[in-house]
Amino acid sequence: MPESTATPVPTAVGAAAGRVVIDPITRIEGHLRVECQVADGVVKDAWVSAGLYRGMEAVLKGRRPEDAFYVAQRICGVCPISHGHASTMSSEEALGIKIPKNAVIIRNLIEAAQYLHSHILWFYTLAALDYVNPVTALSADIADTYALAEQAGTATGDFGAVQKRLKAFVEGGQLSIFAGHWWDHPAYKLSPELNLIAVAHYLEALEMQAEAASIIAVMGGKFPHFMTSVPGGTTWVPTEEKLDDVLFRFTKVKEWIDTRLIPDTLAIAPSYIDAINYGAGTGNLLSWGVFRDAEAPDDPKKRYLARGAVYTDAFKTGKVDMAAAQFVDADPKKVMEYVERSWYESPTKLNPAQGQTTANFTDYKVEDKYSWCKAPRHDGKNMEVGPLARMVVAYLSGRTEVKTIIDGALKALGAGGKPEVLFSLLGRVAARNLEAKVVADWSIMWVNDLVAAIKGGDSSYFVTSDADAGEGAGLWEAPRGSVGHWMTVEGGKIENYQVVAPTTWLCSPRDADGQLGAMEAALVGTPVADAEKPLEPLRVVHSFDP
Amino acid sequence: MVKEEDSALYALLDSRGVSRRDFLKYCGSVAALLGLSELAAPQIAAAVEKAGKLTPTLWLAEGLCTGCTESMAQVDTPDVPAIVLDYLSVNYWETVMAAAGEAAEKNIADTVKAGGYLVVVEGSVMKGFGGNALRIAGKPALEELETVCKGAAAVVAVGSCAVDGGWVRATPNPADATGVSMFLKEKGIATPVVNLPTCPVNPEWVVAVLVSYLLLGKLPELDDIGRPKLIFGQTIHDNCPRRGHFENSEFVEVFGSAEEAMGYCLYKLGCKGPQTLTNCPIVRWNRRTSWCVEAGSPCIGCGNLNWVDVGAPFFERSAAVNVPGVGGVSPDAIGIGLGAVAAGGLLIHGIAQTATGRMGHGAPVEEKKGGEA
Repeated sequence: MPESTATPVPTAVGAAAGRVVIDPITRIEGHLRVECQVADGVVKDAWVSAGLYRGMEAVLKGRRPEDAFYVAQRICGVCPISHGHASTMSSEEALGIKIPKNAVIIRNLIEAAQYLHSHILWFYTLAALDYVNPVTALSADIADTYALAEQAGTATGDFGAVQKRLKAFVEGGQLSIFAGHWWDHPAYKLSPELNLIAVAHYLEALEMQAEAASIIAVMGGKFPHFMTSVPGGTTWVPTEEKLDDVLFRFTKVKEWIDTRLIPDTLAIAPSYIDAINYGAGTGNLLSWGVFRDAEAPDDPKKRYLARGAVYTDAFKTGKVDMAAAQFVDADPKKVMEYVERSWYESPTKLNPAQGQTTANFTDYKVEDKYSWCKAPRHDGKNMEVGPLARMVVAYLSGRTEVKTIIDGALKALGAGGKPEVLFSLLGRVAARNLEAKVVADWSIMWVNDLVAAIKGGDSSYFVTSDADAGEGAGLWEAPRGSVGHWMTVEGGKIENYQVVAPTTWLCSPRDADGQLGAMEAALVGTPVADAEKPLEPLRVVHSFDP
Repeated sequence: MVKEEDSALYALLDSRGVSRRDFLKYCGSVAALLGLSELAAPQIAAAVEKAGKLTPTLWLAEGLCTGCTESMAQVDTPDVPAIVLDYLSVNYWETVMAAAGEAAEKNIADTVKAGGYLVVVEGSVMKGFGGNALRIAGKPALEELETVCKGAAAVVAVGSCAVDGGWVRATPNPADATGVSMFLKEKGIATPVVNLPTCPVNPEWVVAVLVSYLLLGKLPELDDIGRPKLIFGQTIHDNCPRRGHFENSEFVEVFGSAEEAMGYCLYKLGCKGPQTLTNCPIVRWNRRTSWCVEAGSPCIGCGNLNWVDVGAPFFERSAAVNVPGVGGVSPDAIGIGLGAVAAGGLLIHGIAQTATGRMGHGAPVEEKKGGEA
């Protein structure tokens, strides 16, 4: 037995010696441990460890390609739509299936609904408690709160009732999910009134993420884990009534994003403006592209958020120089996965198309092996994936809607004309929320596109194929980053299956050359005001939406 | 009758903005889900009086995808704020709790020490690599799972992974995953376990079980594998809105077709409704918005034990039935085989006489129903 079983490493050790451990990281999907070496109030080095191995790739071997759609999406209960789509696209590429135009649009709509659900859930339910302190909201002046909301252009609600409910809750003495947190931390900067507005919207957000998820239910049967985007197209045939329902719900969610998420982001950001100074990470960005153009479904560079990669090497050089940045196409053939620091004994530096996954736990040692995550690299570089990567790639690709909203937000935050500030903790948070706005606008447009196609007499949703062998890759984007499913099919059965999930990129450990993973790199340089309460590193970890 | 003035719990709920009227209405909906009469509501409300404080609850994350927590976030009977603020004191729930690291782990230790708590388990029990297939707080997660479950009043295993390992335990079960009740049995722990399968769990069932326990002080009646009988007592097929089309031999032959638009039966495309015991067609999903079959997909039987090995290939009913799009077998070729399988399915439900008359020779599928444009 490994020694660590008998002598467990304590959850927080040696803060005095500069070693800060957060395990478990909460408010994420799955299990994560973060270890930081802190000196002079700043993180000098970091190790991110993924705690769970389940073995999806082994489970899928020998099964049918279409069964993989149903099973593979269950890797992640927060982004099953994206995994499902990546899986079904890998089947379709392997078997040479071109799906009908209406199915392309329907998949975009289901994916969009998941983006809106996920981004709302992330900002309010998962991340907000790093910035918003419900305890100080108790002392908010109600009249001032209304005045502030009006001034910030964000929606008002019954702030008095929310404060009363909060007060009764705190006085009840059973703090439930709020128990034991570092509410006295000096890095909480919002005024009591802004905290109260945020708490009110925190409660509303729980309704709104469910509204967005119910859009998936209409077109996909249920969420999480959906049923309809099977290889060949979709099983869902829209009716007039269902399309009305989808449009109504998208409109409701879009209005909420316009009147809460965006103004709240802009209202909260100035209090945390120092967060543009750290958290940049590797400075290298990757996007496989997402939301297909129904007229050019096979061109990843024509996706609404395009495929591409950006190299600034900011972690090595210490600064982001946009003028010197390289903007290139992303290439799945350039992806290699390293396992020197991961609990696998299969060969290292394999492309996922020939990938292998042979697990073998040895021991937890940050000097040696310390994670269930492999270390994927693109052209040898450690890449960040996610909304920041997608928005910068789309910005550099000239996507008008993205350029307009990014330039506007930078101006509002006093950084007009300086897209390099996006490479930061604050930039990563802002990019996600701005992406929600862009996708919400497109979702309404795509519903109208679908209605127009159906009115024009297009009633094709699914095609069949007799092929039973081939190789395919489904390269796509989950809300939290790039997802790739690679499949080899022989005799109608899966010969090999490999997944490189967003978490594989983001929570990557070091590679053979000792290059840090994206989250590890972003942690380096993060201030730590109180080593016993490492709130700032927690913010950086959460900014990736792992 | 309940003297509402004297009720500590009513005072607590009042102070949190939950009206007595809402609460009684809510008791009614839980009662209905458990198959009790609406008249049981006052009785449930009376049982509430005894509590007076919120029951401490620990929601443990084992080998999970977080889909069951996501599913819980979709519930509105009551909604999540009511559950975590008004009905329970959820002292540990990794996905939504504020605290992290050592502070979070302390919440578990404090709750276990005080006793009298409920446990919800999401995800598979990960036994692989000496339990290191899942490490939390620097050690194998199943160590803490064992301690926490041992002292609990009851354990609710939510989702197929917690029930029996779910997809994670499918062949070849690479990380040696198992279910909570199997794990506790191995460890000789007698804490009662309620099993709520499907992938993810339907959140309305979780609420029904938790609240009925809080209100009535006992678990609902369970079947031989620990599932509440009133939720898992009938097949999906029994309650399916497309059942009439099955009886009429009106089947969808190809996904996304005109037959699908008419809501025909998905049996030929592999629907596992006849073998799957859940009330999905009644409770539905995402606040009763829709469910799998309504969106045109066959049921994949995610509520069955070992559901991936048992259910896959998902588009096949038997060796004789193949799928358009993969094997390319024409629907005509499967008609005879289907009749026999359908009759077998019907025998289970004790209505074989119907089958012999109407299904035995594989009645032809109508191209269009009378009256359809």
